[in-house]
Amino acid sequence: MSGASTPASSSGESFSEALSRWAEAWDRFWFTPTRPHTLCVIRILTGAMLLYCHLVLASDLLAFVGPDAWMSNDMARQLHDGAFGVSDWARSYLWYLESPTAIWLHHGFTIAVTAMYMIGLGTRVTIPLALFLQLMYLHRLTGALFGLDQIVTYTTLYLALTPCGSRFSIDAWIRPRLIEKCETSAFWRFMLPDDSPSVAANVGTRLLQLHLCVIYLFGGLSKARGETWWNGTAVWYAVSNYEYQSLDMTWMARYPAIISALSNATLFWEVFYCALIWPRVTRPFVLAVAFGVHASIAAFLGMITFGTMMIIANGIFLSPRLFQSKEQRQLDDEAAALIEHDDADVDVDAAEAEAAEQEQAERELNEQLQNPDLSASERARLREKRDKIRAAAARVKRRYRALKKREEKYEARVKKLREREAKIKTIVQKRRDRKNKGDGDSTIE
Amino acid sequence: MPDDDGDLDGSTEPSSIQRSPRRWKLIASALLLFHLSAVALPPLAFQTFSLDGPSPLVGTLIRPFAGYGQFFHMDRGYAFFAPDPGPSHLIQAASTNADGTLSERMYPDRNDQWPRLLYHRHFMLAEFLNDSYWPPGPPDEMFQSDRPAAELWQQRRGRYEYIRQSMVDHLKHVNEHREVAIRRIEHGLPGLQEFTEEPIALDDPRLYNVLLDQPIFSDEIAPAPVETEVIPAPEVSDEADNAEPGS
Repeated sequence: MSGASTPASSSGESFSEALSRWAEAWDRFWFTPTRPHTLCVIRILTGAMLLYCHLVLASDLLAFVGPDAWMSNDMARQLHDGAFGVSDWARSYLWYLESPTAIWLHHGFTIAVTAMYMIGLGTRVTIPLALFLQLMYLHRLTGALFGLDQIVTYTTLYLALTPCGSRFSIDAWIRPRLIEKCETSAFWRFMLPDDSPSVAANVGTRLLQLHLCVIYLFGGLSKARGETWWNGTAVWYAVSNYEYQSLDMTWMARYPAIISALSNATLFWEVFYCALIWPRVTRPFVLAVAFGVHASIAAFLGMITFGTMMIIANGIFLSPRLFQSKEQRQLDDEAAALIEHDDADVDVDAAEAEAAEQEQAERELNEQLQNPDLSASERARLREKRDKIRAAAARVKRRYRALKKREEKYEARVKKLREREAKIKTIVQKRRDRKNKGDGDSTIE
Repeated sequence: MPDDDGDLDGSTEPSSIQRSPRRWKLIASALLLFHLSAVALPPLAFQTFSLDGPSPLVGTLIRPFAGYGQFFHMDRGYAFFAPDPGPSHLIQAASTNADGTLSERMYPDRNDQWPRLLYHRHFMLAEFLNDSYWPPGPPDEMFQSDRPAAELWQQRRGRYEYIRQSMVDHLKHVNEHREVAIRRIEHGLPGLQEFTEEPIALDDPRLYNVLLDQPIFSDEIAPAPVETEVIPAPEVSDEADNAEPGS
């Protein structure tokens, strides 16, 4: 017996079957096309946050970038180039920008690119460019960074992979006006993507989801190494930190049980986020806690930007259907029904073939039973076999009838859809004719 | 994958609708695995890091992904308020005015840095200076007993001094090139029990401590303070002075 066919579990599933099931799950997880609507909303919010970061930096730019900044150009470079033993790839050309004029021009350009990212103008270029500029700033601002910079950068990184400019954007407004170019040129189709389901949208979504899981898992594990998250005083030490505080929450000292509950709940929520965010039944609770935790950080711990950005990032677990129009949702449902119909066709054919096979087997058994040379025991065994086949055939026939019924139902639905499609086509044609007529008239004038 | 539904609440099209070619999927899968390794290994390395350095296993595993992670700013530990929320660290700067008098400023300061994000950037700089701190040294004997450790000590101390000097230079530049000295301040947190028994204002002067820059030799009882530390104790706001217990 080969290793591949050796049962791997008590269920009798072989290793190769289990592997193939995993491969299928991997394939479905990463390569199932998804609508980009959630990403499009996240694009606006993340773009706005990044723009705000750059605008705030502009309020004291030369204190953070340039030769006389808190971390001088040389110092920032030496923190990365191995001068103090550690050389890394976090390189930035901003280490070499000395002139205040050049620094301001560069920052103005960065703000313009980020604003385009937010409003969705030329997103296939502006988002990767905004990401690159952001990375250059990050490698220059070593020492002045915190969680906000991380999450805003990761979200931008994943958005850069997706057609997130296909909705709620200037690109989406331009696309119908350049529809002919988009239909004929792959370049324009890429530059001005539509909002159809795509693998790229799914990959970007999954990457951000998994990155959030890693952040929370290690955030939780590192808290689990401490004492105060277990003994329940951690939240007290967070709210009693004067430098973080934006609202005085020291009244909580009167309710130690609440402090303790919040500390423990935060610890467990972070550790188990990566598991509980996936099942549909627990996802709403996990997201509700995420909202509560980050809204509290935003409101009470002085990190309104970080708290808000974490809430935005958690939005990646929201279904794109939430941001689709009612008509589009209906069309998606109908398309899904059509595909199900195709699959049902296959099922009906298979059931028909199975029934025919069983009938053939029954006929063969009947012929064998007519043989007078058969012993009584053999005859009994064949009869038993024939009864089993008859029962199976009856089951298959019942299934066949049910499938046939379903097929008829779907056929009626398809007919209705086709009629609807024809109707829409007529309306579109009429509109085009009217438009052409109007254009012709204006040319004559 | 632990996705119990395999899609996003029905947001995705059924898998049969569109299938990418197998070869592209394999390439994409390899790239995804590479990226996910670069995402997950840095926080693991952070957790397994100790005084002896990184865990040998994780240190080896992370090597192919380290540069990629560093470029995309993914070489983070995600240890927010962990393992325990601790005290804040501030920078107190004493600047010489044009008339020769001294004026003091604290970084961060909510009254000086606005909006909050700008304040937070200054706060992070103060924390960065403190995180970079390494005491003066090493003792001469260490070069004989453990030369690599002594050199590492020198390197870390050098790094701290350069960072501190960069900050001093910036403040000098802002102060029209007049003298500036800085020191690190730790703002402690009142314990829950103590606060309940005797409420204290969070900016009470008793909660601030000057962090001296001194060698850590066990046989030195009173090391000489370094030049940058000879500035007055932090000024406390009137509100804090007048704060009644429990206010």
